[in-house]
Amino acid sequence: MADEHVPDQLLGHSQDNDGIQEYDNDLPDWWLGLFFICIIWAGFYVAYYHGYMQTSQAQLYDEEVAAAIVAYGTPEEVDLASVEITPEMVAAGEPVYVKNCVICHGETLEGGPGGGPSLVDAEWIHGGSYPEIVHTVSEGVPAKGMLTWGPILGEEKVQQVSAYVLSKAQAAGN
Amino acid sequence: MSNSPDSRPTSPIQYDDGIVKMFIGATMLWGVVGMLVGVILALQLAWWPANTGLPYLTFGRLRPLHTNAVIFAFAGNAMFTAIYYSMPRLLKAPMWSAALSKFHFWGWQAIIVSAAVTLPLGLTQGKEYAELIWPIDLAIAVVWVAFAINFFGTIQKRQVKHLYVAIWFYMSFVLTIPVLHIVNNLAIPATLTRSYPIYTGMTDALIQWWYGHNAVAFFLTTPFLGMMYYFLPKAADRPVFSYRLSIIHFWALVFLYIWAGPHHLLYSALPDWVQTTGMVFSVMLIAPSWGGMLNGLLTLRGAWDRVRQDPILKFYVVGVSFYGMSTFEGPMMSIRAVNGLAHYTNWVVGHVHSGTLGWNGMMTFGMIYWLVPRLWGRKMAKESWVGLHFWLATLGIILYIVSMWAAGITEGLMLRAIDENGLLMYGQFLDVVRTLDPFHWARFLGGSMFLTGICMMFVNVLLTVRGGGEAVSSAAPVPAK
Repeated sequence: MADEHVPDQLLGHSQDNDGIQEYDNDLPDWWLGLFFICIIWAGFYVAYYHGYMQTSQAQLYDEEVAAAIVAYGTPEEVDLASVEITPEMVAAGEPVYVKNCVICHGETLEGGPGGGPSLVDAEWIHGGSYPEIVHTVSEGVPAKGMLTWGPILGEEKVQQVSAYVLSKAQAAGN
Repeated sequence: MSNSPDSRPTSPIQYDDGIVKMFIGATMLWGVVGMLVGVILALQLAWWPANTGLPYLTFGRLRPLHTNAVIFAFAGNAMFTAIYYSMPRLLKAPMWSAALSKFHFWGWQAIIVSAAVTLPLGLTQGKEYAELIWPIDLAIAVVWVAFAINFFGTIQKRQVKHLYVAIWFYMSFVLTIPVLHIVNNLAIPATLTRSYPIYTGMTDALIQWWYGHNAVAFFLTTPFLGMMYYFLPKAADRPVFSYRLSIIHFWALVFLYIWAGPHHLLYSALPDWVQTTGMVFSVMLIAPSWGGMLNGLLTLRGAWDRVRQDPILKFYVVGVSFYGMSTFEGPMMSIRAVNGLAHYTNWVVGHVHSGTLGWNGMMTFGMIYWLVPRLWGRKMAKESWVGLHFWLATLGIILYIVSMWAAGITEGLMLRAIDENGLLMYGQFLDVVRTLDPFHWARFLGGSMFLTGICMMFVNVLLTVRGGGEAVSSAAPVPAK
């Protein structure tokens, strides 16, 4: 029927359509082609992704993590208890503190508008030793709104900022 | 064309145009309110002090007010306008019950007002586009049933044999919306303002986005296609390009759309195969969506010289083109790899607005400028403003979308950028937000232009209704033959 079809023939519906006329035109070939290509592509994608590749987002994640470990290595295991805090570490920690921590813990470390507790009073909520501070910064306190800073800052900056906090606390006499 | 075959001497059917006028007024009023709130939100994102410190006016509470107002109040009243005007004429039958029409109108407005009160108070179900609390949800169901009875009652007493394609599109809207609304809002009330959904976890999320995406499909797409199939050939005075295409793209569209929801949950806890389903059904939707665009644009064959002069046709050309653009962009964004970059960025915001401002907004404006002179028997009071509105709206949308594309891609790339140590380069989200400042301002400007346009339309229509425009020769407009 398509071959013999004369374009722009009116259908006789218009009395029923409030005067709107309709042509009895065929579907444009390219439109039909696009429709079929999308349907075929859908079948192909399912077969490829779930059949041939047999993949899943969990597997893709594992692969990305493995590739990242190859590219960047795993963080060195540091024995935090035996770390000696140097003035260089403290100095390097200050800008990290200013950029990331001030909003909650304040410029003077006595607490800030974001609601973080003072870091220079007598009380350590999560422990005041260097390894404990590193652990708190690294893991965060999500229940109270403190971020898990480890993956954001990286091991080195976490240690530097912890050294800075500890030095300030010690300077305040705690 | 000759007389109708039933040879009934065209006994004048009394159409209830009063209800159409009321819906036009509501469309414009809520359009201005909803878009004003949108512009305030855009300002809040660019300049935080605009949050004012009052809890009722903070971003988190105003945002659902904006979405509910523009979708359910502006677009909703717009398609009720289209239905109450075009359906009786297409079926040669007045609405089944004028009382139900009135109930529908006032019920719907009462729902909107209650939304405008509860959302700023922070009363919400926390489901996107389904924020309204359970008593309002019940009211929506009741009003919708009344509307559906009136709608199908009118179809039943029609005086025509053939149902025009616009009616098919309207039907898909009237039938599907209550199904989506009721299933997604099933909840156990705890107090008057709180309830707990009967679904948990991932099921809840999947039901939510099955609802959310099909709100786009059956609230913002199919009824507007029905609107297009009536008002575009009327305004252009040309036959619809292809009856066959209209039927095939209708069935393809309604069948495929209902599966596409999971593309909102790619890379989530949703099982991989469900994600794939949502993605491939979205891609298969390109052609059925473009069928509507093609039938709209090809209907204008032979009328393109008039498009240059007639602002109504300009609104339709840009509206239909944005429909085609956003129904191509959407499937692209649903592809896993693209979604990984686009999701959770302003790109999504830009995409949504190319559909809502570009398609729903422009089609509605074209319809109102076509209807007002016919309903009130007067030319527009400020005819030059119509063209100005068109350009303000078009340029506003373009500024909006382009700035959101730039913002979205910038944001997506920044969120995944990694430094030489394998760490996030922009670990602080605030770094990303600050980079987006110029784009937020550009969007604010684009949105303000669009808002200015609809305000001009509102004033123009008010002036016309109050007798500002020159009277059109035939006071009671008859359907064109």
